[in-house]
Amino acid sequence: MSTIIIGLSLSFLLFLLSAGLTLIFGMLGVINFAHGALYMLGAYVSFQVVQTTGSFWLGLLVAPLIVAALGALIEMAALKRVYSRDHIFQLLLTFGLILVIDDATKFIWGLDYKQVPTPSILAAPIELFGSQIPAYRLFVIAFGAAVSLALFLILDRSKWGMIIRAASSDPDMARTLGIDVNRVRTGVFALGSLLAALGGAITAPLVPIELGMGFSVIIDCFVVVIIGGLGNIRGAIFASLLLGMTRAIGYTYATEWVELMTFALLIGTLMFRPAGLFSTKGRAA
Amino acid sequence: MKRRNFLYSAGATALVSTLYAPKILRAQSAEEFHIAAILSFSGPYGLIGNDMRKGAELAVAERGGMVLGKPVRFSWEDDETKPQPAVQKASRLLSEGAHMMFGAVSSASTLALQSLSTQRQVPHLITISADDAITKRDGAPYSFRTSNTLGMEVKMTMEFVKKRGLKKIYAVTADYQATRSALDEFSAMAKEAGVEIVGNDYAPLGNRDFSVIIDKMARSDADGIVVMATGNDGITFVKQAGQVELGKDRVIFGPVLQDDIFAAATGPAALGVNSGVRYHYSVDNPTNNAFVKAYREANNAFPSAFAGEAYDGLRWWLDVVDKTRSWEVDAWTEAFANSVYEDSVEGRKEMRACDHQASQVGLWGEVVKGEAPMPELTMKITDIFPADRLFDSC
Repeated sequence: MSTIIIGLSLSFLLFLLSAGLTLIFGMLGVINFAHGALYMLGAYVSFQVVQTTGSFWLGLLVAPLIVAALGALIEMAALKRVYSRDHIFQLLLTFGLILVIDDATKFIWGLDYKQVPTPSILAAPIELFGSQIPAYRLFVIAFGAAVSLALFLILDRSKWGMIIRAASSDPDMARTLGIDVNRVRTGVFALGSLLAALGGAITAPLVPIELGMGFSVIIDCFVVVIIGGLGNIRGAIFASLLLGMTRAIGYTYATEWVELMTFALLIGTLMFRPAGLFSTKGRAA
Repeated sequence: MKRRNFLYSAGATALVSTLYAPKILRAQSAEEFHIAAILSFSGPYGLIGNDMRKGAELAVAERGGMVLGKPVRFSWEDDETKPQPAVQKASRLLSEGAHMMFGAVSSASTLALQSLSTQRQVPHLITISADDAITKRDGAPYSFRTSNTLGMEVKMTMEFVKKRGLKKIYAVTADYQATRSALDEFSAMAKEAGVEIVGNDYAPLGNRDFSVIIDKMARSDADGIVVMATGNDGITFVKQAGQVELGKDRVIFGPVLQDDIFAAATGPAALGVNSGVRYHYSVDNPTNNAFVKAYREANNAFPSAFAGEAYDGLRWWLDVVDKTRSWEVDAWTEAFANSVYEDSVEGRKEMRACDHQASQVGLWGEVVKGEAPMPELTMKITDIFPADRLFDSC
């Protein structure tokens, strides 16, 4: 049973990390290589807030908002110029953003490791089914489930979601209906950046905060997005659960095969469902 | 002299001159002592390169910036923690007449530089890379390591196990060659000592989640947890182990698991964790006390293991070079291969002529709460293992 609980926590961490990437691709058609850098920035800003105020919760709130504002600026200043161009321009631009964000982070916070302590209310483990489960992991599960539900409701059931989908699938038609497509796109990129930073802030008590942390998550994010279907939030939820559970079971019974199992899932998806398990044209949620 | 003999002699002279041309050229044009310093200033080991630079610069500054009566000049190059840029940048500096190489940080880059050193017959000083393959018996003739080997750190780990009386060990090992070899060596020693390895899990290098492995450890009957990982992997493991209080009734330790930098990155979960330590500012001897004082004045911080080892190695090397009063590379390497360093910052060090590895004591410590001006979490040196228990005879 503890394996399932740990698997759920792995799954929702994966979802929080990859949701922004799939959202930006689904709505804007941009493969955002800078997603990992925004995730790292979220962790650093969260560290700074915790360092200054002593409150993890404030960090969890403020870091995503600051990175979302930065995301909006990036979209307005740079990204909107390459929407109509080939994907290679978008890749180059977002790759350049990684270098800029990395150097700015190094300049502000230096090279040494930073750490965010586990919030004291969640510091002690809880005994469940004969295992000591970190309370923080249970919080991650609850928080991840809440975020995935909120995203699903916003994108699939709300008027905002309808506007976003309209601006994504037929921008010209949306414009004739009075929708400010540019503003919608800015909002979507800001939301994707917010989700990346949220991933960084929530991961901060689990890992050391350092400059390379963005690179280490981006592969996992792409695996989730490819298995779930590019731009599909429901697919991302399913793929995160599939990968998280595979890893939890793999680490329990055959640790040396975990990476192989992960990439076997990826290769299997690319072979039999190249567009992803939940691919549905024109929809993101 | 017969014509044939004359031709043989002339040919041999020409061949020898060609082989030694780089060394002669360097010696003749020495207006300065040029050190090609190839370190990591970016990438995963960026922090280490910066600290090494501070230590190395202090070693040179202390001697008035001179060796053999000429000014010392560093050329600092960033290998981005990758072997290919390391070799490219070192090759360029050697073609510009650098007299020696210093670095690198990662063992992969160091091994690549070592090949270059052998090929170009240029001295190569290593002060942090720990892979045992770097100092093989009768290996690279121009390379010298003044710092720890992973092998000696593994032996220290077993000495610690015996001292603490641990009987059942659960291991977690970063899945790459050096740590796999370290685990094999540790397991063999454990068997000999009657210590049972009750479990081992390999985790991919750069793993971000150890929760399942930690859960297995918590449910095992192990009294000790050995972590064959360092850097991010080690920090992440200890941080996550702290969330289930794994260290409450089990001893967590590893050959290179913690130092002051890693402890600061880990936070309170690091308290009580034991580890091999390459250098520590708290070692009480006149050389180290003077170094720590000078380093703190220059950098407003205690020296890290990387800074301490770089300072120590370069100070030793430059002392030996100076004493040769020669610009011949072979004179330097021969003198260094047979040198003894009585006043190292860690105590006595002796260069082994057979493998160019410095024989030295091994420091072992535990993370404790520090008192100002020390960092909040610091290593307390609990054991100093003698060299003869850590190194096989030459």
